[in-house]
Amino acid sequence: MTDGSASLLLGQATTGTNAALVTFLIYMLAVFGLAGLSSRLLQKKNFLSEYFLGSRSLGVWAFALTFAATSASGGSFTGFPSKIYSHGWVLSLWIASYMVVPICTMGLLGKRINQVARISGAITVPDVIRERFGSALFGLLATGLIVFFMSFNLVAQFKAGSLILKTLLDGVSLFEQTSLSLGTAVGDIDFLSAVDPRYLLCLLTFGVAVIVYTTYGGFHAVVWTDVMQGIVMVCGVMLMLPLALYQVGGLEHATQKLSRMTPPRPGTATLRVDSPSSENVVIKPGTWLATDDEAVRVFRVTSGAVIPAGDAAVPDVAVLEITTPEEIETIGAAHAEEIAAATVRITDVSLADYAYGTEEIGVYVTGPGPDPSRSSGFLPFSLAFSFFFMWAISGAGQPSSMVRLMAFNSARTLRRSIFTVAIYYTLIYFPLVIIFCCARVLMPGMDSESDRIMPAIAVFLTENIGYGWLAGLLVAAPFAAVMSTVDSFLLMISSGLVRDIYQRNLNPDVAEKNIKRLSYLATLLVGTGAMLGAVNPPQFLQDIIVYTGSGLAASFLAPMVFALYWPRANTTGAVSGMLAGFGAHLGMYVAGRFTNGSFFKPYQPYDIDPILVGLVVSFVTVFVATLATPPPPDGLVRKYFHKS
Amino acid sequence: MSDSAETQNAVIEYDPTFLHSRREAAIIFGVWATALVWSVPYCYFNGYSTLASPEELQTILGIPSWVFWGVGFPWLLADVFTVWFCFFYMADDDLGEEASDAGSASSSDAGAEA
Repeated sequence: MTDGSASLLLGQATTGTNAALVTFLIYMLAVFGLAGLSSRLLQKKNFLSEYFLGSRSLGVWAFALTFAATSASGGSFTGFPSKIYSHGWVLSLWIASYMVVPICTMGLLGKRINQVARISGAITVPDVIRERFGSALFGLLATGLIVFFMSFNLVAQFKAGSLILKTLLDGVSLFEQTSLSLGTAVGDIDFLSAVDPRYLLCLLTFGVAVIVYTTYGGFHAVVWTDVMQGIVMVCGVMLMLPLALYQVGGLEHATQKLSRMTPPRPGTATLRVDSPSSENVVIKPGTWLATDDEAVRVFRVTSGAVIPAGDAAVPDVAVLEITTPEEIETIGAAHAEEIAAATVRITDVSLADYAYGTEEIGVYVTGPGPDPSRSSGFLPFSLAFSFFFMWAISGAGQPSSMVRLMAFNSARTLRRSIFTVAIYYTLIYFPLVIIFCCARVLMPGMDSESDRIMPAIAVFLTENIGYGWLAGLLVAAPFAAVMSTVDSFLLMISSGLVRDIYQRNLNPDVAEKNIKRLSYLATLLVGTGAMLGAVNPPQFLQDIIVYTGSGLAASFLAPMVFALYWPRANTTGAVSGMLAGFGAHLGMYVAGRFTNGSFFKPYQPYDIDPILVGLVVSFVTVFVATLATPPPPDGLVRKYFHKS
Repeated sequence: MSDSAETQNAVIEYDPTFLHSRREAAIIFGVWATALVWSVPYCYFNGYSTLASPEELQTILGIPSWVFWGVGFPWLLADVFTVWFCFFYMADDDLGEEASDAGSASSSDAGAEA
């Protein structure tokens, strides 16, 4: 099948609707409105404390939702649904520690770090460390690690946000036309010419929006938009749950169908047309093809291919064969016209098995879950153990969480916020597992593009009940999630530069007017730098996010825990622990470079994650090094531990 | 007891917010450990097995029973615990007044380590 310059064989899942564009525009208007309100507050209060910490005045809803929204990055609504779709019910165990994440991440350090920050007048996490240990150098080390880790993370988050926005607006005519114009406009610029113009447009829109409202409104803008984003997220999930359960025919039915599913088989094939065409024949990723055999075999093209003009075939095209008879039936019915109309035939198929789960009945409803590359399955026992550590304990060690714990106004607010976030996470994470287990039954065959399952199922569920416009709200949830993470990280880096490096070390007497200008400038420059970095981002983005998140926890958690709860803790012990945690965690990744061939495939003895190693090494080092060195000055102990 | 002795005792007394926070942190850590010891081994021993046929799968409310008892039920209990902890146990400690901006004075007047 050809259409002028190229042919389009069968469609992909449609995710773009005008409703998505309208929702996005309304959403952005609200964001800028909130930034404007925040900016007014900046005129009335101490600039630095207000800009970077909201003057330590957050109440229950603001504190709870900013905490929850910042923790729930874009991964919660893109990567996590994709994993559920790909591996089944075992994801409930993968995410199980979220049952205690709110109480751990807020309760373990919250009250005490808030108190110490008040005693010392600290505005940032390095401020707390510097004051508690009375060491400017330690403060600088903490700042350096935060800026190092978060800069990489920020680039990755910018890319994630842009990809989500691209998925959200995919197929919207205004978006497609603007992208084409942008592509033409930047075609002559070397740096930009190779970039997909649709991605570039999303990056510019996303980047400029986040940078402007964060720079303009500061911490309160970030918090208030987080609150709105948090509400969008939970509303999205609460709408999808009943729709998914209703349309799948009940959870029992969905689980029983899942239990009969077997993993698809990835591989390559040759795609042919009957006779050479005078024009290129384009086969888009996502195209469905079937064999003419008596027992019909159904395939999905996973990477696009072109049969050049004059040729009749293209070899080695990546495909995926669906193996579950019920799925083949459902797909055959849903895409009957596409399959019947296809003029491309599939031959010379060469398939590989999943490393775990091939032809295994019940693999989507039992552990460790199917996995294409790991022979021990998706979630072996030791990895399940590591993830329980990862979410709850390393979550407590994130400086972006710590700085929020310094911002609430009273212990009463903390108590109520822990409860609020616990209910909030309960309403989001377990329901997401249910929704996307149902999604596997409702929309089979999306394994090759499972990252798109969230917007795809949103459109599917709402259009089936005749309310397609609701999809706009549902797909806004992942966008809101990544935006709320990016704005917080942006502010943390600029506070590190302006407050921790410039004001605390280079120019303590700087006038407030200059601090204000520098803060705006730093936020603007850091955001612009991250946006430029994301134009041609490094590979392994998800791996960078994992590395930086776990690296921060390995470096910061132990020194902070001992700083807050052990009067004997001293600078030598805490610095040693921070460096040892950083080094041990990094060492596992460097070892991975030699044992597994890639820095981002860390060495994992017995499937134990590097975060576990980093945390254990860090805690032991702080303890031993502290006891081996003299106690801290009495003045510091009295100030932070004794009754005044 | 003389005034000076009372003053000395007050100086070495630990801050109640610090003591409460430390006790609460220890309890929270215990709850995390309990959740870990419940969820991961339970799911491993009851959910990590190959099914001979789909009919072997046991469900509760449509959820595989190993997920229900290994994740769903403890999640519910964790929420109940959180309610108790937040509303009946955690102390409403005084967090103190806001000190002047640390950056506006020298880094610390309480003493610094080498």
